[in-house]
Amino acid sequence: MPLLELQDIEKRFGGVTALRGGNLTVNAGEVHLLLGENGAGKSTLMKIVAGIVRRDAGKMLWNGSEVFLGSPSEAAAIGIAMVNQESLLAPHMTVAENIFLGREERNSFGWVNRRAITEKARHLIEQYGFPLQAEWRVDRLSPAGRQMVEICRAIQHGSSLLIFDEPTSSLSDSETRQVFRIVRDLKARNMGIIYITHRMDELRVIGDRVTVLRDGGAVHTGNLADIPTDQLIRHMVGREVAQIYQRDHLTPGAPLLEVRNVSVEASRLKNISLTLRQGEITGMAGLIGAGRTELCRAIFGVDPVDSGEILIEGKPARLTSPRDAVQSGIALVTEDRQISGLALRLPIGYNVTMANVERISNFGFLDLKSETARSAELGGKMRLKAASPAQLAGTLSGGNQQKVVIAKWLFRESRIFLFDEPTRGIDIGAKAEVFELMSELARAGAAILMVSSELPELMHVADRILVMRQGRLSGELPRGCTQEQIMKLAVMETAA
Amino acid sequence: MKINKAMLQRLLPFLSLIILFVALSIASPYFLTANNLTSVARQTAVFNTMALGMTIVIISGGIDLSVGSILGLSGLIGTMALERGFPIAVGVLIGIAVGMLCGFLNGLLVTRLRIPPFVVTLGTLGIYRGASLIFSNGLPVHKIPAGFSFLGEGSLLGIPFVAWMLVICAVIVHVVLEHTRLGRYAFAIGSNKIASVYAGIPVDFHITAVYAIGGALTGLAGMIEASRLMTGQPTAGQGYELQAIAAVVIGGGSLNGGEGSVIGTLIGAFIMGLLSNGADLLNISNYWQQVIIGSVIILAVTLDEVRKRRAV
Repeated sequence: MPLLELQDIEKRFGGVTALRGGNLTVNAGEVHLLLGENGAGKSTLMKIVAGIVRRDAGKMLWNGSEVFLGSPSEAAAIGIAMVNQESLLAPHMTVAENIFLGREERNSFGWVNRRAITEKARHLIEQYGFPLQAEWRVDRLSPAGRQMVEICRAIQHGSSLLIFDEPTSSLSDSETRQVFRIVRDLKARNMGIIYITHRMDELRVIGDRVTVLRDGGAVHTGNLADIPTDQLIRHMVGREVAQIYQRDHLTPGAPLLEVRNVSVEASRLKNISLTLRQGEITGMAGLIGAGRTELCRAIFGVDPVDSGEILIEGKPARLTSPRDAVQSGIALVTEDRQISGLALRLPIGYNVTMANVERISNFGFLDLKSETARSAELGGKMRLKAASPAQLAGTLSGGNQQKVVIAKWLFRESRIFLFDEPTRGIDIGAKAEVFELMSELARAGAAILMVSSELPELMHVADRILVMRQGRLSGELPRGCTQEQIMKLAVMETAA
Repeated sequence: MKINKAMLQRLLPFLSLIILFVALSIASPYFLTANNLTSVARQTAVFNTMALGMTIVIISGGIDLSVGSILGLSGLIGTMALERGFPIAVGVLIGIAVGMLCGFLNGLLVTRLRIPPFVVTLGTLGIYRGASLIFSNGLPVHKIPAGFSFLGEGSLLGIPFVAWMLVICAVIVHVVLEHTRLGRYAFAIGSNKIASVYAGIPVDFHITAVYAIGGALTGLAGMIEASRLMTGQPTAGQGYELQAIAAVVIGGGSLNGGEGSVIGTLIGAFIMGLLSNGADLLNISNYWQQVIIGSVIILAVTLDEVRKRRAV
């Protein structure tokens, strides 16, 4: 009998269907890989298993009988635990205190018995052979060490199913090996393990069976040994090419931005060279953590460049702050627009003129009428759905917020655009409009770098695709390349 | 025209002020007299001028806990200048300049050390107060030309001079906030500092400028206080920072930055001023006044939060 069986799980959030046909079977003593693109429904499915989210329909069988889990503690009680991806530890407390956080045993005075939890933690650590000490403070631990504390937290109850959500995404190679060793050890103790990963290179090192999710449903399940990696990737990304990506491609003009041998130690960028030309949309693919956002930050003057140079219109440029970059005509549309793109509590008009207040001011005084008129005009052109430029930016939908961010750079008359995940979190209609805007920009002579994790998008919008892997450019592919080619460059060692 | 609920809530501080005004007029025969209103204007002038400066600082996402000490130091140095025989106008300008310098230092520390303004100004609260006591040996300055009392106690066209000053300062600060680049940047930085940096705004420069302006207004408040007392007290202004912050917050300013207005702050300051005046007239003890004002602060901010939560 399988340990866990999910049958046709469905889940909707508002009008959006996150899961339909969520099927998954996990046996005791196996590492079951769960693969899929961002947004394929992996996290939602796992949250349902871990009791964080409730399913709308479908069956969840645990050791053969149906269960309904209302909270993570109910899941923990029957033996299901999740190892969190982002560290949810209290940094100033010890390993032992973190393992038992919220579950401390109290003595008859209601005091926490520190000695007892330290003793219990020591026992747990010894049992699994973790390289940890119960008394260590968590903020002194490496990312792998913290991961192990998370694992201890998850297994302290004697769980029989553990869920790992990209445990190695922020770990070094040697740390990754440590985590693998622990996962194998847990497997040998007859636990069932669900393992989510984006790193195609680690699949075969750790996995036994695999399930691929796409668009909220399981599209493939089977033994890992029976399926080649290429085919797995096809299962992950294979979808119909939508009409929305159509654009006319132009012959690229003069180079506007040249990056030559740029390295940034702090963000592990190594020796990157690329050229952005007028009228061209250069795509950039790579896994999360490959250094794409970091490259944008380096070009935009956020992170100081350690070596190499950046040329704008053929002339060396000193970009030591975003201000330098903005004044050189560079625009950065960040991946997290709410954090670094928009002033949510200010009106749309303020946001539109934010990067170029000079344009509406005379001797330091603002021409508010011109601000309103111009932002209304830009908004109209971009089909921004807003009542007026006085509406607060925070009240707009994701797609319209993104349009305001782009309007800001249009108002600045920037010529070099760095789009970092420009379509994240916006619906399909707004996506098409964002692509249209990018297309128009290119026609008007702008040079565009488009970072995206959504391969179909890149393949249809970009004129060529650069691929990054672990802080380096691992290759360039022409228009018309296949997803398999991109994924290979993104995940595999380049033939040296 | 249908008055909608959102608009009513936005006008709530203003309505409360009017209701308070009417209520006090009914409750006490002494309230609505020229004498009393003049004295309210004089009493609140110091806090109100400070609160204007605090408004800009809070809008930019900062806070200045040292304004009480700045008020003391600028009043002291300004009156020391008068004692040495400087003309009155020059003495006042020196007081303002001292305040500006203190604010500038606050801004410099906030932007250079990259530690929270709460901590920086908690530190300078002690430093500036200590500086006043060191310069004065702890003794007040008394030998001040009699003409200096005009600033705090004089009248122009039958209206207290400080009221004219306050109106002028309020108009200037309002224009700066709503119609100049500096004001716009203060809103942008307070609403989203990272986005402001990414938009190429010289953030550190403007943060420093904002603290300097706040300091200058506090310096002026210090001179008004000195003029009203006709002494330069090294201990003047203790605890005033809380009054200034409260005025901004009651008037709709957000300690998260990006929100606030001159009108709101003035309404907030006058609500507190009237509460305190009314309590005096109605013989409510000083002890209870503090309880009442404290409750009003919490009530006002709660109502404002409810409104904002609904709006977004």
